[in-house]
Amino acid sequence: MLSFIAKRTLLALSQMLVISAVAFFLLYLSSSGIARTILGEQATEEQVAAKTAELGLDRPLPVRYVEWLLGVFQGDLGRSYFTPQDVSDALISRLPTTLSLLIATTIIAALIAFALGIAAAVYRGWLDRLVQILSIAGYAIPGFLFALLLVIVFAINLGWLPATGYVQLTTDPLGWLKTVILPIAALSIGVIAATAQQVRGAVIDVLRQDYVRTLRSRGLSEREIIFKHVLRNASGTGLTVLGLQFVGLLGGAIVVEQIFALPGLGTVAIQYTSRGDIPVVMGLLIITSLIVAVVNLLVDLGVGFLNPKARVA
Amino acid sequence: MKKTSRLVAALAAGALALGLAACSPGTNDAGLTTGSSTTAPLLTLGQIIEPTSFDPAVSQEGNSMPYYQAVYDTLIKRAPDGSLEPMLATEWTYNDDRTALTLTLRDDVTFSDGAAFDADGAKANIEHFIETKGPQANQAASITSVEATDATTLVITLSEPDPSLEYSLASSLGFMASPDAIGSEDIASTPVGSGPYTLDSASTIVGSEYTFVRNADYWGDALPYDSIKFVLLTDETARVNALRSGQINAAVFTAPSTAQELESSGFTVEGQLGDFSGFVFFDRTGQLNPAFADPRVREALTISIDKEALLENVGQGRGELTNQIFPSDDFSYDKALDTDDRFAYDPDRAKQLLADAGYASGLTVTMPISPVFDPSIYTTIEQNFSDIGVTMERVEFGPGQTIPALLGGQFAITYFTLATFNDWTTVRQYLAPDAPWNSLKTEDADLAELIKAYQYATTDDERTTAGQAMNEYVVDNNWFGVFSRVLSTYGHDDTVSVELQTQQAVPSIYNYSPAN
Repeated sequence: MLSFIAKRTLLALSQMLVISAVAFFLLYLSSSGIARTILGEQATEEQVAAKTAELGLDRPLPVRYVEWLLGVFQGDLGRSYFTPQDVSDALISRLPTTLSLLIATTIIAALIAFALGIAAAVYRGWLDRLVQILSIAGYAIPGFLFALLLVIVFAINLGWLPATGYVQLTTDPLGWLKTVILPIAALSIGVIAATAQQVRGAVIDVLRQDYVRTLRSRGLSEREIIFKHVLRNASGTGLTVLGLQFVGLLGGAIVVEQIFALPGLGTVAIQYTSRGDIPVVMGLLIITSLIVAVVNLLVDLGVGFLNPKARVA
Repeated sequence: MKKTSRLVAALAAGALALGLAACSPGTNDAGLTTGSSTTAPLLTLGQIIEPTSFDPAVSQEGNSMPYYQAVYDTLIKRAPDGSLEPMLATEWTYNDDRTALTLTLRDDVTFSDGAAFDADGAKANIEHFIETKGPQANQAASITSVEATDATTLVITLSEPDPSLEYSLASSLGFMASPDAIGSEDIASTPVGSGPYTLDSASTIVGSEYTFVRNADYWGDALPYDSIKFVLLTDETARVNALRSGQINAAVFTAPSTAQELESSGFTVEGQLGDFSGFVFFDRTGQLNPAFADPRVREALTISIDKEALLENVGQGRGELTNQIFPSDDFSYDKALDTDDRFAYDPDRAKQLLADAGYASGLTVTMPISPVFDPSIYTTIEQNFSDIGVTMERVEFGPGQTIPALLGGQFAITYFTLATFNDWTTVRQYLAPDAPWNSLKTEDADLAELIKAYQYATTDDERTTAGQAMNEYVVDNNWFGVFSRVLSTYGHDDTVSVELQTQQAVPSIYNYSPAN
C-alpha cells in the first residue's frame, strides 16, 4: 500500500511540475504589458521600464521559472502584482470557502446519487424511468441557470436564504449553512445526475452476476445482498465518477462563486486572471493541481479498498 | 471647475463663518441633511472592484474612490456637480501666472492615530505621492516643489500652469494620510487618515467585504451612516440579485439591459452621461497604416458606422450620440458638436471619401478585439466596414492584455469606451504628445498652440474660447471617431437618496443619505 501511495505521489508531483512549467511559460510569454497594467495608463515609459526591472520581468524566463519553483518548494508562492498580499495568504484565506463548498456538495450529492441509483436498479419500472429522466434533465440544465433560478425563488421571491455572501463555518455554522445551501444545490444537480446513472448501471451489472443468484439461493435477505455485497462491488464505479465530478466542480465553482459572490478560489480565478496577476494565477494552479492529485489518490485508495483487484493493478 | 476656485473659496469661507450660527438645524456645511430623522446605522454598497492598496500614493480612482474617501479627506472637495469646495484646505489662491498655488489648511484636524494634520504633513503626503510614482503620478507631473511656510500654509510650485491641479487635489493627489503612516508597509492594508470613517479590520474580509465604522473624533460634520460596508460583487448578476434581495442598498451596473430590469423590479435607476465610445485613431501620421494619415479615411471609417443603430440595439438606447470627447460640464464642451451631422451614418459618402483618398478598391484595417466589449459591437463594425469595401482583420486579446497592447503603439485604430475627464486631464490623457492614449505620439503644431492657449488662460472666458477651439480642431481633424456618450446605470433601493458625482463612475460617499 505504501509503495502504491509513493508511486501515485511521485506521478502527481511530476504532473504538477509539467503543468506548472507549461503554464508559467505560456502566461508570461503572452503577457508583455504587466508593468503597464500595474502602473496604469498614465505611467511614463520610464516608470514602466523601472517597474519591469523591479519585478524582474526583464530577466530570462527559465531563470525566473527556476526561482519561482524553488520558492514553491519552500512554501513561498510569491507576491501579488496588484494587492499587498502574499499569494499563499490570498489563496489560503479563500481555500476554506471553496473546499467546504465542494466537500459538502460531494457528500450530499453522493448520498442522493447512490440512493437514487440503487433504488432505480433494484426496483426498475417507473422509478427507474423517473430517475433516468431526472438524470438527463439534471445533465442538460446548466448549473448557472439552475443557480439563478434558485436565487430568484428562494432568495428574492421567498426571502428565505441570502442571494449572495458567505459566512465562515467556524464563525457561525448556521449562518454558513444559510449561505451555502443554494450554491450546494446548484453545484449538486450535475453531480447527482452523472453519479446516479453510473451507480444504477453498476448495480444492475452486479445484480446480474452469478454470485448474487447464489447468495439469494442461500437464503440471504435482499437487504443484506444489496448493502453488503452488491453495493461494495458497485461502489468503485460510483466512487470513480464522484472523484471526476469533484475535479469538475472546481470549474463549476468559478461560475457559482461569481453568482453567489462567495470569496473562494473561483472568485480569485476570475478577478486575478482578468487583470493578469500571474503570481496569483500560478499559485491557484498549484493549489488546484494539489487538490486534484489528493482527490485522485483518495479515489484510488477507496477503489482499492473496495476492490482488492484494483489495488494490485 | 467652471467657477473659479477663488470665488468658491471665498463663498465657502463666508458660509463657514456664518454657517455655524445661522444654518438651520440638521444641515451641515457639506450640504447633507443630518439629525435623528435622517440617520441610519448602515449603508451597504455593491462594488465591482477591490482596493489594491490603501496607500493614497497608489490609490485608484473611478470605482475605487469611495474606499479611500471613507478613510481619507482630500485637501479640496468636489461637489456632486464638480464644483470645488473646502475640505482640509479652507481656501486656495494662485499667483498671477498660475505657477504657485497657496493653500490655507485647517488647524483642527487629527488623524485616527492621534497625529495632528498640518502643512508639514500635507507636504510629506504630496512628496510621498511624487516619489511613489503610482497610477495617478501624472497628477503631480508639474509640481517642482512643495513648501510649508507655516503650520497652516502650503505652497505648491509648478513648472508650468496645470489647469487640473485643483481637481487633482480633490482626487488621489489630495488624499492625506497620517505622516507617521505614510511610507510604512502597513498602510497598504491599514489606512490611517482623518476621514469620516475608519476601517474595521475585524469585520473586513479582504477581497470580499470592507467595513468602515464612524470615526468618533471626526473633525467635520458626521455623515449620516454609522458604518458603510462595501461588498465586492464583480459579477453583474450577483449585484442585481444582492440588490433585489436587500443585501445591498446600491451599486453601479454596466450592462445596458440591467437598467430596465431594475426599474421593472421597483428600484430607482440614476444615470449620467459619461464615458464616450467610438474609434481612437492612433495612427494619425500613417506610421503603421499609411491610409490613416489622410483625415478623409478616418472620417470615412467614422461615418460608415450606423451609430444610432448601435446605440439603440447594443446600448439599449442608454446614451446620446456625440462627436466630441470633452465633458459636458467643462469649458471646452460645445453642444453644437453633439449634433453636428457631418459624422452621421452615410455609407455612400464614406465610399466617396475613400475613393477621393485613393482607396476606391478597398482597404484593410487591423482591429484589436477586447473581451470587455459586447462581441456584437465588433460584428456591427465589421459589417459596416464591409459595406464600404473595408476589410477588418481581427486581433483577439485575452483578459488584461488589450490596454497594454493599445498603449504600446501596436495598432492604428481601436474601438473603445473611454472615461470622460475634466478638460485638462482629457488633454493629458488623450491629446498631448506624451498622452498614454496618443500611443503613436502624434505631434500637431496647431493643436499644440491651442492646448497652450488653454493651459495659460487666466479667465473663464479665455478658457472657454481656447477650449472650444481645441475641441473643434480635434473633431475637425478626426483624431477620434466618437459614436456616443454612455448613460451610466446606478441602481438603489428606496431607503437611500443618492446624488451622482460628475466625472466619477460611482457617487462619492458624501452623496448618500437615508431617504425619508
